[in-house]
Amino acid sequence: MTIVRTESLSKVYNPDTVPVHALRDVSIEIDESEFTALRGPSGSGKTTLLNMIGGLDKPTSGKVFIDGQEISRMKDGERIDFRLHNIGFVFQHYNLIPVFTARENVSFIMMLQNRDKREIEQRANELLDQVGLGDRKDARPAQLSGGQQQRVAVARALASQPRFILADEPTANLDTEAAMNLLDIMETMNREQNITFVFSTHDQRVIDRARRVITMVDGAISRDEAQQEYGLREG
Amino acid sequence: MTYLKLAWRNIWRNRRRTLITISAIVFAVLAAIVMQSMNRGSYEVMIDRMVNFNTGHLQIQDYRYDGEASLDNAFHYDETLRGRILNADPRITRVVPRVETFMLAANDVSTRGAAVFGVDPEKEQAFNQIGNYLADGRFPEAGEQTAVMGKGLADRLQLGVGDTLALIGQGRFGMSASGLFEIAGIIDHPIRDMNNSAVYLPIQAAQELLSAEDHITGLLISVQQERHTGAVAASVRNELEAEELVIFTWPELMPELLELMEMDLAMPRLLTLVLYVVIGFGFFGTVLTMTMERLREFGVLLSVGMKRISLSFVVFIETLIISAMAVAFGITLSWVLLKLIDPISLSGDAAQAVIDMGFEPIIPMSFAPDQFFIQGFYVFLIAMAVFLFPLVKILKLNILEAARS
Repeated sequence: MTIVRTESLSKVYNPDTVPVHALRDVSIEIDESEFTALRGPSGSGKTTLLNMIGGLDKPTSGKVFIDGQEISRMKDGERIDFRLHNIGFVFQHYNLIPVFTARENVSFIMMLQNRDKREIEQRANELLDQVGLGDRKDARPAQLSGGQQQRVAVARALASQPRFILADEPTANLDTEAAMNLLDIMETMNREQNITFVFSTHDQRVIDRARRVITMVDGAISRDEAQQEYGLREG
Repeated sequence: MTYLKLAWRNIWRNRRRTLITISAIVFAVLAAIVMQSMNRGSYEVMIDRMVNFNTGHLQIQDYRYDGEASLDNAFHYDETLRGRILNADPRITRVVPRVETFMLAANDVSTRGAAVFGVDPEKEQAFNQIGNYLADGRFPEAGEQTAVMGKGLADRLQLGVGDTLALIGQGRFGMSASGLFEIAGIIDHPIRDMNNSAVYLPIQAAQELLSAEDHITGLLISVQQERHTGAVAASVRNELEAEELVIFTWPELMPELLELMEMDLAMPRLLTLVLYVVIGFGFFGTVLTMTMERLREFGVLLSVGMKRISLSFVVFIETLIISAMAVAFGITLSWVLLKLIDPISLSGDAAQAVIDMGFEPIIPMSFAPDQFFIQGFYVFLIAMAVFLFPLVKILKLNILEAARS
């Protein structure tokens, strides 16, 4: 089942002065349970595409559909609400709330969804256990390593029970061990809980683990390889 | 609750900066309250004097008397009217009748202008403790044909206790009014003008002298607290509806005194304004820094689904907590300080100048509750003005730019 669909997506920055074509006529579909990497050099448009899919930015032309709903036409308030209930985000710099503990960071999203207090507490504990931070629930971000913070960020992204998770360079600031650990967790969640992940990355470690790799060059898709093809080629 | 927790912890992210901001506001509140308390303390004594000896908090008059302060515009007064007024509002503490007019006071060779007050000695004593200011003799009792006069006037007429005072003037409806009164007492009146002009007669003697039996020119009313004046006036006004009597508040009766005080308060108010402007900029600096260094965080919170209005609410709570803490500390500290210094005793020339004006040589502090609350209100207004910056910033925040910052 298709979760994300873009139709002829284009994004031009500074259209009146020095136009920069960040996206050119991008049409893709991402199905449920995919573990997809968007790769490409800096400036290739992968983060812009991720922002469009995540409803953080509006296209100059084209459409973005999530579960059949066109988010590119939604108003700001509607998009914020849509994101809260449908999309999980993992950022390169973790971006946790520094004054909250790991548990509070995870709970916060559910609180924004007005969920039951007991359910929030239970799910936050479960998610932190799943990402291997059962013993660091009451630690604040500054007391955690980069890898641990990113795992809290994954737990936070999952807390809202989103349709899919967008991860922008999730391993860029992590050492190999922490990056592999994080990928293990995400892969397990994808496999066992059918959670859809879409990464923007130029980290080969992530690309190697992805089951679909979309390569972008100059704002357009140059290659779109399925898992078997990719696995075979690498193999 | 989570928003409150978030706001509270955000405030203490930079403990030193928050404490400096709170200290600055505490200082402003403290300075403003102490400055105002000193001014108002002095004015409260002055108002108290003027209200007790001149006008009452409220005064009932015939509707024509304000336009023409003549005995012709006196009104009938009896116990029924007194009872009705007393029952009009529970905050009324005393009702005191007076007949006032101007006459010539004379000894055997010279005359002086005098303000003659026909008073109920017992009620007057309860109202303003006038008997406590006797320099010589005693205050007459009801029904006596004796007088008490201000020491200044007595000195000018070279009269003393036991001498005879002649009062000459005009009574009600043009009747000639003249009489001789034995001086029962000399009073060192606390109001200098009245010390030089006042003559007190028992009310019956005054009414007889002025051909104004059962009539008075003013019915003075005192209330529990000065701030009740307006509300009590409304109650009495209802009671007097459809009669030819009107009620005035003391500011209406002495507008020049109020104007004088307002002029005198202009400078402290200006200083307070300057103080708050300076503190306001300090507060703004803190909130500006708190906002700018968290733009990225704001962007992330909006990305993950926090509504702009909720985020603004968190920042609003932060601003409110800082100002509320500062106001609470400021008020508490100023109350303690005022208790410690109240009253400030004057000495030397300053003390003598105040004594000459008929006041005690002290600066009493005012503990009027509104002066404490009003500072809280001002700081709240500042907080609201300061909050506009993060509010606009959050409402206009570009999520991507903020998240990248």
